[in-house]
Amino acid sequence: MAVDALNLEVPEGKTVVLVGPSGCGKTTTLRMINRLVEPTQGLILLDGTDVKSRNPAHLRRGIGYVIQQTGLFPHRTVEDNIATVPVLTGWPRKKARERARELLALVGLEPELAKRYPHQLSGGQQQRVGVARALAADPPVLLMDEPFSAVDPVVRAALQDQLLSLQAELRKTIVLVTHDIEEAIKVGDIVALFRPHGTLAQVAPPEQLLAAPADDYVAGFVGFDRGIRRLSFVPTEGLVLDASPILPADATVAKALAVGQPWICVTDADRRPRGWVAAATLAETPGDTPLGQVATEPVGHAFTVGTDSLRAALDAAVLSPAGQAVGVDGDGRVRGVATFDQIRAAIQAADAPAADLRLDQRIPEGPRS
Amino acid sequence: MMWSWIPGNWSLIWHLTWENAKLGVLPALYGLVLSLPLGVIAARWRWFYPPVLTVITILYAVPSLALFIALIPAFGLTDTTVIIALTVFSLCVILPNVVAGLRAVPAPVRQAATAMGYGPLRRLVTVELPLAIPLIIAGLRVGVVSGISLASVGQLIGVSSLGYLFIDGLQRSFPTEIYVGLVLVIVLALVCDLILVAVGRVLTPWAADPRERRTSRAARLVKVAG
Amino acid sequence: MSFFNWAWDWVTTDANWHGQGSIPQQILAHLGYSALPLLIAAVIAIPAGAALGHRGGKAAVVVSNIANSWRSIPTLGLLTLLAVFLGFSPLTWLLPLVILAIPPILANTYEGVAGVDPAVRDAATGVGMTSWQQVIRVEVPIAMPLILVGLRTSAIFVVATATIAAYVGLGGLGRFIIDGLDSSQYGPVAGGALLVVILAVIVLALFAGLTWLLTPAGLRKQAKAE
Repeated sequence: MAVDALNLEVPEGKTVVLVGPSGCGKTTTLRMINRLVEPTQGLILLDGTDVKSRNPAHLRRGIGYVIQQTGLFPHRTVEDNIATVPVLTGWPRKKARERARELLALVGLEPELAKRYPHQLSGGQQQRVGVARALAADPPVLLMDEPFSAVDPVVRAALQDQLLSLQAELRKTIVLVTHDIEEAIKVGDIVALFRPHGTLAQVAPPEQLLAAPADDYVAGFVGFDRGIRRLSFVPTEGLVLDASPILPADATVAKALAVGQPWICVTDADRRPRGWVAAATLAETPGDTPLGQVATEPVGHAFTVGTDSLRAALDAAVLSPAGQAVGVDGDGRVRGVATFDQIRAAIQAADAPAADLRLDQRIPEGPRS
Repeated sequence: MMWSWIPGNWSLIWHLTWENAKLGVLPALYGLVLSLPLGVIAARWRWFYPPVLTVITILYAVPSLALFIALIPAFGLTDTTVIIALTVFSLCVILPNVVAGLRAVPAPVRQAATAMGYGPLRRLVTVELPLAIPLIIAGLRVGVVSGISLASVGQLIGVSSLGYLFIDGLQRSFPTEIYVGLVLVIVLALVCDLILVAVGRVLTPWAADPRERRTSRAARLVKVAG
Repeated sequence: MSFFNWAWDWVTTDANWHGQGSIPQQILAHLGYSALPLLIAAVIAIPAGAALGHRGGKAAVVVSNIANSWRSIPTLGLLTLLAVFLGFSPLTWLLPLVILAIPPILANTYEGVAGVDPAVRDAATGVGMTSWQQVIRVEVPIAMPLILVGLRTSAIFVVATATIAAYVGLGGLGRFIIDGLDSSQYGPVAGGALLVVILAVIVLALFAGLTWLLTPAGLRKQAKAE
């Protein structure tokens, strides 16, 4: 497997995802960091020190390593598996096992699993044990080689979420290899996309990869729908909301028609959305009927203003019979609605800086990790 | 090493080699003949195999000399005694390989054959056994090689084989005889082994890579664990 | 009279249990003459097999050839050859027994270590174990079932060969057989043979127990499935 003239910098505390087609050298690159593969040329610097200058075994004890097939030691219990590196570095076994149990909780596994053997665990559980083992000695750097590829999609999503929450807490420097661009976008702070023969096509935060792919290859790899997928990264704080079409259930039809909007969003007493009703429907109803008695069409789903992304807002608008997204606050109370136009305006506002980025983008100089 | 002894005793050497060959090869073939039906039964009716395997494991642990001796009252100090004993040992080695070979036939292949209308007997003979040949041959090889070597022990109860050269050589303090015997036993065993390898290749023209390295793990395991 | 009659008569004769060369003495002697070469062979073959298995590569061919061909070496030949040069000395029986005990242990240890899941090896290297640590802490424990099979095969082989070694002066249960054959007394011949068989079966049982004890708990269930 050849990797050619690679310059890559991995900032501390960030997750860099190496992604690309089979055979592109991403795994080879990863394995050069902990010297499982020795580079024939060039330099790998870990925290400023050349990895070649350190004893390989000692180097690896300071780097967490997670692989696709877990490689859990079948002849040891789960807790002894996790305790491997601490024991290797001289911890007393009792202390190492306590640490192992802490980590078991950290990766979301029940303490009863500590004394079980790997073959008694499910694939997802085994993978979590693998992550716990990698974290046991609290290494600053974590290498992950397709860690979630061998499990089914539901388990994979859960594991990815777990990784994100772990990372939020621990702030490790992570280099993760995957062939799945969606995974890269989901978990990566920076995505390094490889070409088929070992060179880098683009190194950028995931949002930028989606908004401004460097060339056709990147655009093709990132895939169809990237415009919409990119919206996952755009917040909804700046979205302009209109509160006028929102009326409580006890308001009358006449009052609703007076607002002059083609659709009215009916809420309950707590200001939670009940449904949409068209003005045309209201026109045929007696003016003094309370809105609560009129048949409404379902909202679809609402988006939480501030926390949800523009993609959620867009999806809400698409699902809404009114073509407007209902924005709620953290408690589910309606704050306002956004039309397609308003959403589009927010997208354009987000796009403007991205266009600049494409022109200025450079792959960072110097290999560092 | 007195080389001149060899041409002088050619007929003796040849006779003993021939006897040894018979005593090594025949039991292996008888063992094969016995192993096939037993193996088919064991592969088909799973409950049958564990007790049979236990019996075989115990039988194989019996020292060859002891088994020869146990058979003397029934069969005398004759070839038959040695042949029967070595047949038992061959069975111990070949039967597990027959079972392993049959079980190693991939289930999809068996199912495809059945789906195409093969009856059980025809499927067995035309599909499963041919696919089991590599493992069966592996077992047969061990049986023949060890049989040829063990046959020499029969000399201790007076049954003619190359073992005669060992005993005579010791009695006369004449190492040449022993060297000749050693070389012949080993060469005989290896020649038979190679013949079997060739037979195996001929019988399995579909095998992609006939090199030793490609023998399935199961075959290696069974061979080594034998 | 049958084999069992002869053997039973002889074994139950009280006189045979006392004095020089008595049954209990020879049983113990046989155990000793079997255990020593086995231990020496294990000390040589297990580290060698583990080191070769860990490294992999070309060693596979060498080990495979050894595994296939060791059974062709006639034990009687080796024993008599050494007896001609060394007389009835300890080395005469020790050397062949050790040499013949090595291959099964070596081959099985190699198989066991080489057969460790590549992902497990990768993980062992990746967490920062040195080569030696990987072999001792991971590969050998995982290979333990196969190593024990190799030890068992060797043990059985050594017990059998030690019996034959009585021909070149070794004590032990073979003494009864060889001396009895010499003096045409079938009693001790049958009795000795029976005792050797019992001993072999006990060794077998011992190894079954040892395997159960020494197989890491995590592997026991997997081993049963095989």
